[in-house]
Amino acid sequence: MTLYSAMRRLRISSTYLFLILLSMVMSFPLFWMVMTSVKPQREVFTQFLPRAITFANFDRVWNAMNLPLHLGNSLYVAALVIVIVVITSTLAGYAFGRMEFPRRNLLFYVFISAMMIPAQAILIPMFSYLNSLGLLNTQIGLGLSMTGGSIAFATFLMRSFFKALPSELGDAGKIDGCNDWGVFRHVYLPLSRPGIATVVIFQFMGTWNEFMFSTTFIRTPTLKTIQPALYQVVGRYAIDYTALSAGLLLAIVPILIVFMLLQKQFIKGMTAGALKG
Amino acid sequence: MGRQPRWRKYLLPVAFLAPGALFLLAFMAIPMVQAVALSFQRWNGLDTPSWIGFTNYTNLFQDETFWLSLGNTLLYTVSMVVLMSTLPLIIASMLNSGIRGSATFRFIFFLPVIISLTITGLLWSMIYEPNFGVLNEMLRSLGLGNATQLWLADKSLVMPSIIVMSAWQSLGFYMVIFFAAMQAIPEELYEAAAIDGAGVWHRFRNVTIPMLRSTFIVVIVLNTINGIKVFDQVWVLTAGGPNHASETLGTYLYRTAFGAMGSSNPQLGYATSIAMIILVISLIFSVIQIRVGQANEVEN
Repeated sequence: MTLYSAMRRLRISSTYLFLILLSMVMSFPLFWMVMTSVKPQREVFTQFLPRAITFANFDRVWNAMNLPLHLGNSLYVAALVIVIVVITSTLAGYAFGRMEFPRRNLLFYVFISAMMIPAQAILIPMFSYLNSLGLLNTQIGLGLSMTGGSIAFATFLMRSFFKALPSELGDAGKIDGCNDWGVFRHVYLPLSRPGIATVVIFQFMGTWNEFMFSTTFIRTPTLKTIQPALYQVVGRYAIDYTALSAGLLLAIVPILIVFMLLQKQFIKGMTAGALKG
Repeated sequence: MGRQPRWRKYLLPVAFLAPGALFLLAFMAIPMVQAVALSFQRWNGLDTPSWIGFTNYTNLFQDETFWLSLGNTLLYTVSMVVLMSTLPLIIASMLNSGIRGSATFRFIFFLPVIISLTITGLLWSMIYEPNFGVLNEMLRSLGLGNATQLWLADKSLVMPSIIVMSAWQSLGFYMVIFFAAMQAIPEELYEAAAIDGAGVWHRFRNVTIPMLRSTFIVVIVLNTINGIKVFDQVWVLTAGGPNHASETLGTYLYRTAFGAMGSSNPQLGYATSIAMIILVISLIFSVIQIRVGQANEVEN
């Protein structure tokens, strides 16, 4: 028995040891980035932990690369995509999840087949297409270019969400005198908030972090969203690690805040596709 | 009866589906059809495109850089599949063993996931930088000056370096997926195994692993789909260099279409044929994923 408990203790402590070491390795890049961002420039390569903390780097990069502008651009594009995706996918998800109509399953597969198309496949035609619509190099064009793939996945999520709600609710609504629209508007829509929240978070994350379309479809520097803007300034700050670290950190903050506030929904939103198959 | 109700039956579904369908048509279906057409055309972006049949594809199959980038893409994909279906599994099972602080560990491991691949690439470019980078810096301070490397400039090290970075970024994501799946395994199965005298390893081997079968498939498929189209972090970190040593299908497509640094000879049709290769591979694995998803729904 003592041997058994000794073994058990050994196993638990080695598990802890492994997890702690791994946490150190995993958090090292971010920890180093935070440390570097608050270091005086001359300490970059000599001191691992800063001797004194300075916020001068944040000042420098905030002004030099006009961070508020690019963060604002990203927010604008994200908001545009989120509004379009939430409205269209809630409606379509409801139709597929709660309505009866001929060819429903076939139509559903047509709808979500867009999920399977990688962005690369439509990158080049989208470029000339936006150009012909006069939307190339505009934030509206960039936002619209991202809607196709997003709506498919969001519809998929909203459908499974609506499907999981009990149908007795709708029947009760009908008895109370609601028509089909009323049942949607007053019974199911208020209940779909968690589903919508998942879609919003997923979409915010996807749009905020998007790089390929953003870097290709927008050329004017002042219109650029945050990811391509960061990529662009690297040349300028290639060896100014303090400023670059500060810039990267500031670009992470908005998404980090969302993550901290809504950790559960955030993880659910991100893994929704994987878990629901 | 007859006409009126039938017409009404369609009205609401059509109204609900129309907005989504409109966007899907305009910003997915139309570009997709154009992409297929473009892959059979020669186009520099300015003149009228000309139809050239399968020439883009036959050229592609004789293009050494294409094979090189396909090889790198497969190396990346296979490595990620292997790494992401093992490491996160081990970590998740440790976190699921009832130890304290599990939530804190999960938080730490998940943090890199929320960071964009662009930022990941920029951050790791500071880590891998040979002269000032923190990795070589650390090796030197540990007295391992000989072990310092040109992580991104060395042809044989550049792909492993990119793979390590990507593994760092996505480890937490797959850990959460494995963890959630493990939590769904009924406790009774473990109890029954314990009564039968199964130790930790046997319970893991004979209960956990078989119960995670569909999770494995999901993880493998997701990594394959993401691996085949890998672009952001590679473009930011190396842009496919040095001398195509880290060229992937994604970066090669991009370079061919838009030029790396303002190259003046865009081959948009040719680049689209590379996109079609990525598309076909993704489609195959997406179909597998949907099949597995359906199988799950039936099981449940």
